[in-house]
Amino acid sequence: MTREEIVKTVNDALMKEFELPEDKMKPEANFFADLGLDSLDAVDMVIVLEQAFKVKLRANYQVGKIITLNDLYNYIEELTNKN
Amino acid sequence: MGSSKKRVVITGVGAVSPYGAGANLLAQNMLNGVSSVKFNAELADIADISSRVSSTVPEMDFSYIPRTYRRSMSKMSLYAYAAVKEALNCAGFNTAPDGASLYLGSTISAMETWVEFVEKYKKKEFDTIKTSVVFQVMNHSPLANIAQSFDIKGPGFGTCTACATGLINVGLAYQSIVGGFTDKAICGGTDEYHPIMTACFSIMNAASSLFNDDPQKASRPFDKDRCGIVCGEGCGILFIETLESALERGAKIYGEILGFGTNTETKSISHPSRQCISECMRLALKNAGGMDPSCIDFVNSHATSTIAGDVEESQAIKEVFGKDMRVNSLKGHIGHTMAASGALELIAMLDMAAQGKAAATLNLENPDPDCRCVNHIVKTQELKINTFMKNSFALGGTNCSLIIGTCVKDAIKDALI
Repeated sequence: MTREEIVKTVNDALMKEFELPEDKMKPEANFFADLGLDSLDAVDMVIVLEQAFKVKLRANYQVGKIITLNDLYNYIEELTNKN
Repeated sequence: MGSSKKRVVITGVGAVSPYGAGANLLAQNMLNGVSSVKFNAELADIADISSRVSSTVPEMDFSYIPRTYRRSMSKMSLYAYAAVKEALNCAGFNTAPDGASLYLGSTISAMETWVEFVEKYKKKEFDTIKTSVVFQVMNHSPLANIAQSFDIKGPGFGTCTACATGLINVGLAYQSIVGGFTDKAICGGTDEYHPIMTACFSIMNAASSLFNDDPQKASRPFDKDRCGIVCGEGCGILFIETLESALERGAKIYGEILGFGTNTETKSISHPSRQCISECMRLALKNAGGMDPSCIDFVNSHATSTIAGDVEESQAIKEVFGKDMRVNSLKGHIGHTMAASGALELIAMLDMAAQGKAAATLNLENPDPDCRCVNHIVKTQELKINTFMKNSFALGGTNCSLIIGTCVKDAIKDALI
């Protein structure tokens, strides 16, 4: 998967799940401060991404360190490259 | 005032019903004899459910509710949101006033969400269930969702007593105000339809099954051809407060709650008895300061179109009020909206009383000889209703009766003396 494909897949999934406008989907956007998500959304985000990328994320402690969209793109990219 | 008992008035009403969103749609459609009952194709696909009719809320757009609140709401909470908003606006508030209490329940949990939840559990796909599901299936989910979304910090009670839920929550809120526990409350019942609801009544041979080809005739309380309940959904909400508070605010008063009675049938978990129903209505009269039965000039019955229940209620009404008591049931129009029914029908009756009219029991073409013991309203008519009783009963045995005074000017005059 290319970086562009990852970004598009993540953004599409999160915009749909959390009803986010496209103009807010900037790489530096913080999930809580900028996108208005909360701890319940964080759990649901993992589920949505697991379905979008067909990978398991929940057990990975690194997920908890992801605080911006860019962190998430990087993490998914790393994970998909490994696979 | 001649009595120190706090007087409680209704100053806001809100409804989502099978007619759509808006309290004004209830009486308007009922007085015009409009039935909301329709053929339900989903029921036709389920074997051994003989009933093929239901009364559901038309598709509504709830996207205006902020996502943070909406995500944990199943349909019953969405309906409640719309009805609470309407009731508060109607009472003159943009949001819930400080100190308001909340009394709101449903019959059973959000069935559609539960079914999906269980299916995933069985398929060992539990890790695909989102957190919002948990908050949709809690027994007090509507209460929690409404408290969160309207920032209601006061006491909250999610009393659930099956089909009596809506009215019993109004009664409990009334008693709380009378007792000084609170001075204003948002109260009522809400429910969402699922075919399992019809299936539950079908199992007991209590779901309407003989009018599947003519759905609008399917719910026919007191009629000799009645054959059971038509299940429905919706939400009815009232805003109630002390008369003193309403007068101070200059709020419009829709009616005064004069008395509340409730008891439990213990002879049968499924069948009501005329003795227990009569006792419940007498308890309401006693609670209304020992009101004489002759002071009640109308009974809006619970009558659900079941074989046994309609007879028992008719006979009980005759026993307490005599054969001339005027009686109607509004379930011929909208079926049985379950937890919402008591509050929705009360709201409809308030509007009718204000208009000086009473809707006939829809489809009451040939009263059952066993139900003929009272004065059934078979034609919609002009009628002055000063004081009426609203009944609601439930599977499991809960009965409740509420007495409403509609002479608002008299209430204000008395309060000022």
